[in-house]
Amino acid sequence: MIDKKICSRCVMDQSDSRISFDIHGVCDHCRTFDEQVVPNWHTDERGSRELATLVEKIKLSGKGHDFDCIIGMSGGIDSSYLTYLAKEKFGLRPLVFHVDAGWNSQEAVNNIEKLVDGLGLDLYTEVIDWEEMRDLQLAFFQSGVSHIDSPQDNAFFATMYKFAKQYKVKYILTGGNQSTECIRNPVEWMYYQSDAVQIKDIHNKFGKRPLVNYPLTSILWHKIYLPYIKGIKAIRPLDYGPYIKHDAMKLLMDKFGWQPYPQKHFESVFTRFYESYWLPTRFGYDVRRVQYSSLILTGQMTREEALEKLKQSPYDEATIAYDMEYVANKLGITVDELNSYLVLPKHTYRDYKSQSQIYEWGAKAMKALGLEVGGKR
Amino acid sequence: MITVLDYGLGNVAAFVNIYKRLNLPVEVAATASQLVNAEKIILPGVGAFDWAMTRLNESGMRDCLDDLVMVKKTPVLGVCVGMQMMAKGSDEGKLPGLGWIDAVVKRFDETGFSQQTHLPHMGWNDVNPRDSNCLFKGLLSPRFYFLHSYYFSPVSKDDVLGVTDYNGSFASVARHANVFGTQFHPEKSHQWGIALLKNFAEL
Amino acid sequence: MLRPRIIPCLLVKNNGLVKTVGFDKPKYVGDPLNAVRIFNEKEVDELMVVDIDATAQNREPNYKLIANLAAECRMPLCYGGGVTTPEQVQRIISLGVEKVALSAAAVANPSLISKAAQWVGGQSVVVVMDVKKVGLLRRYEVFTHNGNKASGLDPVSWAKQVEELGAGEVVLNSIDQDGEMKGYDLTLVERVRQATTLPMTVLGGAGSLDDLEALVRRFGTIGASAGSLFVFKGKYKAVLINYPSRDEKDALFERALENK
Repeated sequence: MIDKKICSRCVMDQSDSRISFDIHGVCDHCRTFDEQVVPNWHTDERGSRELATLVEKIKLSGKGHDFDCIIGMSGGIDSSYLTYLAKEKFGLRPLVFHVDAGWNSQEAVNNIEKLVDGLGLDLYTEVIDWEEMRDLQLAFFQSGVSHIDSPQDNAFFATMYKFAKQYKVKYILTGGNQSTECIRNPVEWMYYQSDAVQIKDIHNKFGKRPLVNYPLTSILWHKIYLPYIKGIKAIRPLDYGPYIKHDAMKLLMDKFGWQPYPQKHFESVFTRFYESYWLPTRFGYDVRRVQYSSLILTGQMTREEALEKLKQSPYDEATIAYDMEYVANKLGITVDELNSYLVLPKHTYRDYKSQSQIYEWGAKAMKALGLEVGGKR
Repeated sequence: MITVLDYGLGNVAAFVNIYKRLNLPVEVAATASQLVNAEKIILPGVGAFDWAMTRLNESGMRDCLDDLVMVKKTPVLGVCVGMQMMAKGSDEGKLPGLGWIDAVVKRFDETGFSQQTHLPHMGWNDVNPRDSNCLFKGLLSPRFYFLHSYYFSPVSKDDVLGVTDYNGSFASVARHANVFGTQFHPEKSHQWGIALLKNFAEL
Repeated sequence: MLRPRIIPCLLVKNNGLVKTVGFDKPKYVGDPLNAVRIFNEKEVDELMVVDIDATAQNREPNYKLIANLAAECRMPLCYGGGVTTPEQVQRIISLGVEKVALSAAAVANPSLISKAAQWVGGQSVVVVMDVKKVGLLRRYEVFTHNGNKASGLDPVSWAKQVEELGAGEVVLNSIDQDGEMKGYDLTLVERVRQATTLPMTVLGGAGSLDDLEALVRRFGTIGASAGSLFVFKGKYKAVLINYPSRDEKDALFERALENK
């Protein structure tokens, strides 16, 4: 077995099939960070001034309305901290919503409750029709692709934009941030979850019941129509100041009784299963590489620490049997059936209908226009 | 290896699930041949005394069980009616019990009750263990779920391993040599039950 | 000391969780299995799951669902809905459920209670009574079939009868208060409490932990059950599973039982 070459600066390796290295062995993710992210990422006074201006705009846009911005709360560290900042530090009046796709962990539910109570905020929840969700998730398993968490992700974005439109809110605050996410999951690993054409095609081919209640978004709708026609903008407040994950967690734990997760995205039991077990076992994609690499580039983890942690199994071997059983039971299949999906022939997003052309064109256009920095590739 | 006896009564699956998630080896025995090599036994139980004794006697495992417990001294944990069956007999029924512990099973005396709710004793109650070793190792303020109208009454105070207060003190945990019994349901008592079952496995 | 019990009650319709108001207007709440899992991790005292369609549709309980839910519970589970024979009671118990709740079938055929008790023990037989105020005099009457069928029984004498037949618990459910989150009907509870020495659980109307505390303060050792309270959050009734922590519960009981 040939060892995969690892970047000499972060820990991304050739399990990202499109990775390239320069003469120093530094990968293209690091180069993108240096050349495109850093020059445009202001966490000092420039950032605070930009943020202050934005906050004023948000407040102005919300005058006379119930809310001035909208925040999607998963119970995870980013959205929790963001909610805290929005209310306590920025003085905003956010509509806080949560999308329940049926896989909430106890920690997620506890954290949402503690934040909402502690900050005196009102909560909206969108409950996705579980029978449809289950059918869609099974369809994705059967399609053989690697981005089987698209059903959950897509529902989240679709709901977010639905609420923004319904409550006439012009500003969406997201917890997306360079500090812990400057390196993104490669498209090969996780294709764009907002591609409704892909979801519909996979559902057509493998789904067994009609998608009636499930909310679908579309790239054109949420990247072009809503921002440019309806004037709804997405802001990433965590990028305008220093965001140190460890400090944010401690603050939330002390102030609100927030419960930490073993790893990023573990608010959802399914996402935990998917990222820590399914992806590495079936495809050899270990998302910890992406997460640790981001932390390395932003000085929150050393490469040695990352390499050491990567030596351990990505999933908890003591509980994986129970997790498999739970996921199988919940999806209404046997563990054997779930295991059979593990060894299906592998497919990519290209094997099904998609709007990938639009994404590629759009990403180029955005970059050319200076409208988006960094990037998922 | 823990062997959970399946004679038609009791929440066998709950015990199995707990041990599986603790990653401790567990099996179910429904026949004598499945039981004969057991190293540690759990005798679950729910329901009326005579019904339980009848099911056990008709299971084909009675003789094997007696031999394992009384002769080979295999550790056994009886739960709820499973514990009551280990006595000589019960006020609730006419059939003799297993007689593994010198005890009888009596109905709670309702005349002394200070509140409107009488029987069954239903809900979470505290257990005061005689010592914090063996089954109660590491358990802080142990509380468990009870669901019964009859209680276990050993002749010897030495056989009482823990007591609970329900309009008077009764033996909620008993032990005589290799024979253990809990009146409460460890398989349905969250972290305390899981810890106790783990302790039993590690004795 | 035997503690009072705080019991989430989940309603299942078409395999999904719903919450009703006055036994009407079911609002979709999500997947039962995940809800049960979360409640288990929150270490709830007990859980009640009721299939509100089964009796009205005259069909069998969903045994697969029951088994899946039971597997996630490290606390006692009570199941009700569509149970009409002692064989079904037995079967449900064998799937890992501690108690089986009877409602319509017990009213139609009270001997079902004693038959079931003979097989699985009285402690596992629960009788649920859904009660509504009727007529000009607003007297209490027991209803079945999701509050659609009047039984002609009054809850006080029904409770006495149910105890004599060998049941182990009475669940008293107020249809009028259901989903309103304005508090329990304590008058109804007082009447039935005097009629039986069986453990009682009260359901219907709890809107806050204060309502649970008030119930315990008045009645001592009792079961306080709720649906909306543990499934909704805030003024928009956002679906969010919640339940008091062990410390919050112990403190609540301590305050409520101070003078007892």
